[in-house]
Amino acid sequence: MTPAEVKPRLETVFRDIFEDPSLVIHDTTTADDIEAWDSLTHIDLIVEVERTFGIKLSTGEVRGLKNVGDFIALIARKAP
Amino acid sequence: MNPNKVIDLDYRRLVRAGKKLALEPGAPSVRLALLSDAATQQFVPVLKALFAEHGVAAECYEGAFDALELEVLDAGSGLHAFQPDVVVLLCATQALRARYYARGCEGELERLTRLWDALVARGVGRIIQANFALPFDRPFGQYDLKGAPSLYASVQKLNAALATAAAQRASVLICDLESVASYVGRRHWFDERLWDLSKTFCNLEHLPRAAQAIADLVLASLGRVVKCVVLDLDNTLWGGVVGDAGATGVEIGAHGDGEAFHRFQHFLLALKNRGILLAVCSKNELANALAPFEQHPDMVLRREDITVFVANWENKADNLRTIRDTLEIGFDSLVFLDDNPFERNLVRTYLPEVIVPELPDDPADWVRALTELDLFETTSFSSEDLARAALYKQEADRREARAAFTDVSEYLRSLDMRIGIEPFRRERLARISQLFLRSNQFNLTTQRHSEAQCAALMDDPDVIALTASLEDRFGDHGLISIVVARPDGHVLKVSDWLMSCRVLGRGVEQYLMNRLFALARERGLAAVEGEYRPTSKNGLVKEFWSGFGFASEDGRHYRLETSRYQKRDTFIREIAGPALEVSP
Repeated sequence: MTPAEVKPRLETVFRDIFEDPSLVIHDTTTADDIEAWDSLTHIDLIVEVERTFGIKLSTGEVRGLKNVGDFIALIARKAP
Repeated sequence: MNPNKVIDLDYRRLVRAGKKLALEPGAPSVRLALLSDAATQQFVPVLKALFAEHGVAAECYEGAFDALELEVLDAGSGLHAFQPDVVVLLCATQALRARYYARGCEGELERLTRLWDALVARGVGRIIQANFALPFDRPFGQYDLKGAPSLYASVQKLNAALATAAAQRASVLICDLESVASYVGRRHWFDERLWDLSKTFCNLEHLPRAAQAIADLVLASLGRVVKCVVLDLDNTLWGGVVGDAGATGVEIGAHGDGEAFHRFQHFLLALKNRGILLAVCSKNELANALAPFEQHPDMVLRREDITVFVANWENKADNLRTIRDTLEIGFDSLVFLDDNPFERNLVRTYLPEVIVPELPDDPADWVRALTELDLFETTSFSSEDLARAALYKQEADRREARAAFTDVSEYLRSLDMRIGIEPFRRERLARISQLFLRSNQFNLTTQRHSEAQCAALMDDPDVIALTASLEDRFGDHGLISIVVARPDGHVLKVSDWLMSCRVLGRGVEQYLMNRLFALARERGLAAVEGEYRPTSKNGLVKEFWSGFGFASEDGRHYRLETSRYQKRDTFIREIAGPALEVSP
């Protein structure tokens, strides 16, 4: 899957998890930019991404994420 | 409120629902504290959402992470400031694993029982201990079961020891989280990444099942229990239509086409033997409906297992009303099982409180489907449960006898009623607490005292805590009424008064009121004061106090001077001790 394909679908997941239908994500977006993004919703986010894209992320991959750009790249690499 | 109790256990849905809880004012509430060595931030919203869907407002306290001792043993902790009704101890297998590899499982049982006992000592009435999901690591392989020193074998032993220790303590219930995990399947239940990342104890999608297991026990503690299962007959209790196939032509038997129904009837019989009443509600000629019970050699259920038998061509909602009125229990304690979707929907439409589970098309799946719904939780099991079906059967016989009398007093005199009144006794605490939990209609203040709280009432020398048992010429009713009062200055204050509706209209409450005023007079007390706390179910006793001449200014607090009470006539005579000796 290409990063361009991943981004809109990931945005839908973000809007669902953080319950904000107008939320827009950028490569530079981090947890600091989204108020509801804490350690708890982070787990919800990971599990929902796995379900949506049909992939499985390792603990190391999850820990290595620095921003949304990393996330998109990771999903693009793993998603069929 | 989900009337059919069939709640969609989707994790994301429940998390969303947990954020905007809407409960009707006056909904029953519970104060629940959760102590865990796992992270519970995701768990608590799910738990609250589930309670809300059962119509209960749950106030939750989340103990500090992995600080069970600090919360329980420190009198100044947030836990004790919260004053919980229920404390849930949820200990993760993953946390146990870490301790096991450091120093084995020695002391784990003692650690938890010490916490339980400390909670009881601080007045917590209900403790729910989750047991441990069996881990998947098996360094010994299947040799584990030969007593190898492994985590797997240690968890098995610990779970068994927790169950034994809980059985010795009335306040402690075990939440069988291991059975939830094994039903889901261990490889789906555990997600080690979530543990490593955030100390979440199971896969998020299964959190609702864990929460449901806890909620079921709390709801049962609040008296939300199923008391009667109402059954259709044709293609529900047996295969085929008895009106067409004839009494011995229906499919029921240990082999072949009838096997699924045979298994289903065994499950129902086990429920009956546990104290849940069975009733029949069938569209049939009565003689046809009865015939297989009397003539088919392979029927598991027999006529005497069915407390109320209704077979006619009326609509089933009306027939359920008849069954409810005969048994004098709430609609929300009835489960209706019928293979016909039309009948299920009719009952749901007209009697939304009745629990109406969907039944899969294949009867082979029914026992599993019902088991998944966890409809039959209980917090206690006493000898009264075993005798319940017989008690209700006697009541049906009494009704028949009453029909033969035109004058009520003549009928009451003919019953030859004998009452036994005595203080709370230790061997009866299980039944006493059960009556506190189960009585909804004739219950003046609806205080749900746990067994431990009943023991405290029994041991308090200032409290007058009485039970009444009744028997008559048709048989024993057992322990049917409880009154708790306490002298306060010159007044006798009644805090609890409840009675089983089975004995309504017999004069038991009049007899007890006579006794209460006699007691007040003996002690030189000037008045008796009582209270009525309205609930959605106790409208029956709204006029209870005023009916005895008590005066009230607010409709809640009532008072009558001892000198002004007029003794009531009854047809009951008192015998020493309990009317029914229940073996412990």
